[in-house]
Amino acid sequence: MNLLRRFLRTPEAIAGAVILAALFAMALAASLLFPGDPQAIAGTALLLPFQDWSLPLGTDRLGRDVLAELFHGARTSLAVGLAAAAAALAVGAIVGTLAGFAGGLADEVLMRITDAFQTVPSFLLALAFVSIVGPSLGVVVAAIALGAWTGPARVARAEVLSIRERDFVAGARVIGMHPLEIAFREVLPNALPPVLALSSVIVAAAILTEAALSFLGLGDPNRVTWGGMIAEGRAMLRTAPFLSIIPGVALVLTVLGVYLAGEGVVETTAAMRGLS
Amino acid sequence: MSDFRISRRTMLAGSALLLASTAMPTIGWAQTPKKGGRLDVAADSEPRNLNPAIVASNGVFFISSKIVETLAEASFDGKDGLDPRLAVNWEGATDGLSVTFKLREGVKWHDGKPFTSADVAFSALQIWKPLQNLGRTVFKDLEAVDTPDELTAVFKFTKPTPFQLIRNALPALSSVVPKHVYETGKIEDNPANNAPVGTGPFKFADYKPGQYYRLEKNADYWGKDQPYLDEIVYQVLPDRTSAASALEAEEIQLAAFSAVPLADLDRISKVPGLKVITKGYEGLTYQLVVEINHRRKELADLKVRQAIAHAIDKDFVVKRVFLGYAATATGPVPKNDPQFYTADVPTYAFDVARANALLDEAGYKKNDDGKRFSLRLLPAPYFNETKQFGDYLRQALAAIGIDAQLVNNDSAAHIKAVYTDHAFDLAVGPPVFRGDPAISTTILMQSGIPDGVPFSNQGGYKNDDLDALIAKASETLDTAARTELYKQFQKKVAEDLPLINIAEWSFISVARDTVRNIADNPRWAVSSWADTWIEG
Repeated sequence: MNLLRRFLRTPEAIAGAVILAALFAMALAASLLFPGDPQAIAGTALLLPFQDWSLPLGTDRLGRDVLAELFHGARTSLAVGLAAAAAALAVGAIVGTLAGFAGGLADEVLMRITDAFQTVPSFLLALAFVSIVGPSLGVVVAAIALGAWTGPARVARAEVLSIRERDFVAGARVIGMHPLEIAFREVLPNALPPVLALSSVIVAAAILTEAALSFLGLGDPNRVTWGGMIAEGRAMLRTAPFLSIIPGVALVLTVLGVYLAGEGVVETTAAMRGLS
Repeated sequence: MSDFRISRRTMLAGSALLLASTAMPTIGWAQTPKKGGRLDVAADSEPRNLNPAIVASNGVFFISSKIVETLAEASFDGKDGLDPRLAVNWEGATDGLSVTFKLREGVKWHDGKPFTSADVAFSALQIWKPLQNLGRTVFKDLEAVDTPDELTAVFKFTKPTPFQLIRNALPALSSVVPKHVYETGKIEDNPANNAPVGTGPFKFADYKPGQYYRLEKNADYWGKDQPYLDEIVYQVLPDRTSAASALEAEEIQLAAFSAVPLADLDRISKVPGLKVITKGYEGLTYQLVVEINHRRKELADLKVRQAIAHAIDKDFVVKRVFLGYAATATGPVPKNDPQFYTADVPTYAFDVARANALLDEAGYKKNDDGKRFSLRLLPAPYFNETKQFGDYLRQALAAIGIDAQLVNNDSAAHIKAVYTDHAFDLAVGPPVFRGDPAISTTILMQSGIPDGVPFSNQGGYKNDDLDALIAKASETLDTAARTELYKQFQKKVAEDLPLINIAEWSFISVARDTVRNIADNPRWAVSSWADTWIEG
């Protein structure tokens, strides 16, 4: 409780939490409020927002309900963002721990691989990967994770390097624990907090990358995505700007929300550490 | 507040004046063309190979048709829909084994050498027949080109070839390139493919990748007083939304090939000084078709294909996807074709209940989740409209219990998936009708085409009757009998649905109203523009 109170002390954190909560609510309520295919043709085409209360945000060029697409798009954005961040953190933490704990040649090899991935712009990497494998939700998640795991790997390694010299690690060695067991049961959990602090940045970047991929037509075409909605609206930017503006605003708010909430968490944990 | 009102009023007055000033000159139609000036045009793609004799496609013609001329050009009122260019007269022998062209006198290549029948013979035998994407089929039986004198070329065929087909092929397939430039070295690697030399009203000047192509006036052009323009500059604007703003900012005076998105036309038609032109593309009709992979057991059943045809609301597609700038299709020949089209074919009205009944009859009952079966749908990525129709088709199929999963690819991957790997169940394609069904239409239904030939029947469809009909038409010399065979062909295709024709559309130009003599032939955007001029 104390933790939560501390978290809610900063206005940024509150704003972030509220936005995120709304977003999760949207994603969860999507199939309750808008059952069926959100891409189904629901009414007359190019209806402006706030004209017809059964279609409050209007319709696109084929007559699809923009609000329904927005809700279902929140689901895709969050799912991709969270899954890609989870994958990137997991891979990064494991690689970083192995490199830091093993040292020597293994460390060199793993960190040079990390360097190699880091030198290629992560968006280009995702773009190339999706164009080769073909767009689907799983591939998009993998593509984004591919460019995002290097940050966590470096942070994890740095933490592990300092932790592995501590007494409890020496103790674990003395009682004859297997090195892998020490690495993943003793060292990794202690190295995790700073790695997790990266998560908000990674989630935000993953959501943006997913939107950019969909904007370029490399998202999963059978799902609604905000990036795809913006791309479709772009051809009509002068005549029906709301088609691009609405998902664009949703995207900005989401990234902002994730980032603010993440900052709040970091500050709270930092304060906790300071206290303890 | 009052300041604002005043400025707004003066603004209005100013724009009214502007309107009046631009409206005035249109009253006097019979003006003499003014010489000089530069025409700035939007170009949305940058073809590397600009040789229209090898690559007979609209993207190449758009630029190179001003430089390299054909034997004849399409015309609204000429005999057989043709207007003479490099040839002044053409006659087919009654046995269908030869066609004689009389060539224009006093024509010079851009490098000063004279144009002769040797150039025509070289282009036909060395380029059109072996190398050209379309010429390979039309000129497949061309054996020799005799040149009894400098201005006569006689095409000799091994098998009777309909003169009607050769005539209809002239505007797109007969670009003549200079023999003296191409006779040494490999034709495909000749530098003139990137900087063409021709006889046309404009010479190739320079090309800056990503920026522009510049053509300049050919002072020695054979047309009297032509060309009127000094220069044509193609500004490369790959982003489709930027052409409209460039027109409004007067950076360009013409955007052809629907460079301005359909959704923007309504707004831009109200901008003073700009006009929207739908004419000038009658000879370049694109067809929206659903390509079907007949290897899929469900789709090999005629009832399923009929059900899909009944599930598609063609009027909705024309109204929503094409915003009215298209026509619904009845079969494989577009309605606007003056020679071959027939309306006497089976039609498939939009009727979801009937479609569902047909699928039930075919034995594909709905499962508990309301789905009958699922299939892969690959919309071609070349046009916004083909992609949007893909989105619509997915919904239309959902309404009859067919679960279509969209697969998006880039152009190269789409062509490979559909025409080489056959990794599709339904595809959305935009084939072009080129004035004669034998040029690029019958290839869409005929069997026995090797894998990997793009824009051909790669759906595994085989119908012996239809094959026989296509073969018979290809060797029928009598124009009336040949036309009749193609009418039967349309009927058969509409009956058996090897593919489903949805709509026919063409392009829209937007131009400043100072640009004159535009859209004055059915292939205007890809014609020579020798008579185009700018007022002002």
